[in-house]
Amino acid sequence: MRKYMVVYRSVVMEHLQYGAQIAVGFISYFIIIFIQIYLWNYMYGESGALIAGYTKQQMIWYVMITEIIWFGTRTTTVTKQAAGDIKNGNIAYMINKPYHYALYILTKYTGEWSIRLPIYAALAGCMGMLMVGGLSGFRPAALIAALPVMILGVTINGVFKLSISLISFWTEDSNPFQWLYDKLLLVIGTIFPLEVFPVPLQPLFKMTPIYTVCYGPAKLLVDFSREKYIEILLAQALYLACGLGVLFLLYNRGVKKLYVNGG
Amino acid sequence: MSTVVKNQLRVCLLSVKYNIMRAMVNRVAFLMNILFMILNNASFIIQWLILLGLKPEIGGYTLREIMLFWGLAASSYGLANIFFARAFSLPNLIISGKLDSFLVQPKSVLLSVITSATASSAIGDFLYGLAIICAFCFSVQRLLLFLLFAVTGAVIITAFAVLMGSLSFWFVKAEVFGSNMVNSTINFSTYPDGIFDGAARFLLYQVIPVGMAIYRPVHVMISFDLTELLMVLGYAVLLSAAAAFLFYRGLRRYSSSNLMEARI
Repeated sequence: MRKYMVVYRSVVMEHLQYGAQIAVGFISYFIIIFIQIYLWNYMYGESGALIAGYTKQQMIWYVMITEIIWFGTRTTTVTKQAAGDIKNGNIAYMINKPYHYALYILTKYTGEWSIRLPIYAALAGCMGMLMVGGLSGFRPAALIAALPVMILGVTINGVFKLSISLISFWTEDSNPFQWLYDKLLLVIGTIFPLEVFPVPLQPLFKMTPIYTVCYGPAKLLVDFSREKYIEILLAQALYLACGLGVLFLLYNRGVKKLYVNGG
Repeated sequence: MSTVVKNQLRVCLLSVKYNIMRAMVNRVAFLMNILFMILNNASFIIQWLILLGLKPEIGGYTLREIMLFWGLAASSYGLANIFFARAFSLPNLIISGKLDSFLVQPKSVLLSVITSATASSAIGDFLYGLAIICAFCFSVQRLLLFLLFAVTGAVIITAFAVLMGSLSFWFVKAEVFGSNMVNSTINFSTYPDGIFDGAARFLLYQVIPVGMAIYRPVHVMISFDLTELLMVLGYAVLLSAAAAFLFYRGLRRYSSSNLMEARI
């Protein structure tokens, strides 16, 4: 465990140097939220009616929170780096190091989002207060309670993304699978809450990673309830266990296929 | 003059041809990239079906017209990344001093640089756009206009990427800003202009070229207007000229990293 802590600390220290650069990357987030604010202002109009049980403010804050998760965890470590290591054979030099490769990549990913996510959250919070206003009925206790859900959510996301990258052991290029996973998260989990979808589809979407990665943390922040909190935490524990199982299975099978060219 | 242009075009096309041939070495990965990109784009139809389920028209457009925005954006971006993919990673070449191998070539440096890579997944983007226009609003006139505007859109997006990328000749940190600005063009282009008003509309038509690359062409495809068509063509030419001017101005400041590199 200590060696992973050292990796984590060194990644955090490295990324602290690039805080300003991460903040400049916030422009993309700003633009997307800017579009979403216009879109939902248009959708709600002047009537002030609810859409799928959400007020306009709740809907925009929901999108802002899911986009924070999306942007805050958008590092290339679990995607391009892991897939690249497999594709160019670099992994051969890393699997004989005194750490587990998959855990090393996950630790690196955790170090990266530990810096990115709080920066995005702070900037997004200021942006939301200025452009949308505070959430009515929001309790700071909900924020503290939702923190472990948020951490578990981004970890599950990393585990799934890394598992997809490990497909490179078989297909060489795992990018297309990443696109599909990303779009599943973006279209179904980020832009709308699950309640907006037709009722027969909702149980199906609850069984996808969307429920634990995007919907869970955002829903708890905009509309906290104890029952939902326990339900989401249990789903996350289950998802994390399954995700890690798939990750280690793919890794153990994949490294057996490893073929290293000399040079 | 015409021979020079013809030769330059031939070199560009050959460059793209070899890029694609290189990508096709691994046929499974090549085809997967194209197919999955089509699926990737198609997933956004769900978003619009849900939104249009909440309100029958968005920004004055129905699903048919919104798909025109999507189709044209996908095809324009696709064409830009088939022919000029390196324009989108120009800052990296400038900052790391990797332009040397292009400077010694007897043809246009800018065209040699931007045509030196092709994103195979962009073929999926282009095909998706074509499929959308055929599925949702096909007519021969609209298809011809669509192809013309896909070209002008690709030229405008590429020129904007070159403009933003060339800032790296002066400012090292311009890379992040530039890529954000280029990405914003793509983000805005997939939402109908009817939902934006005031300052946002000004921004989209005057600062980010999405108005001229996507919105105006879609208006022309819905209701033909020769003046608007000529405006789009003129804008594409002007922006390209501005991009080339800024690139060559910046190139005077370029310094090599003495990197030994062979382009095969």
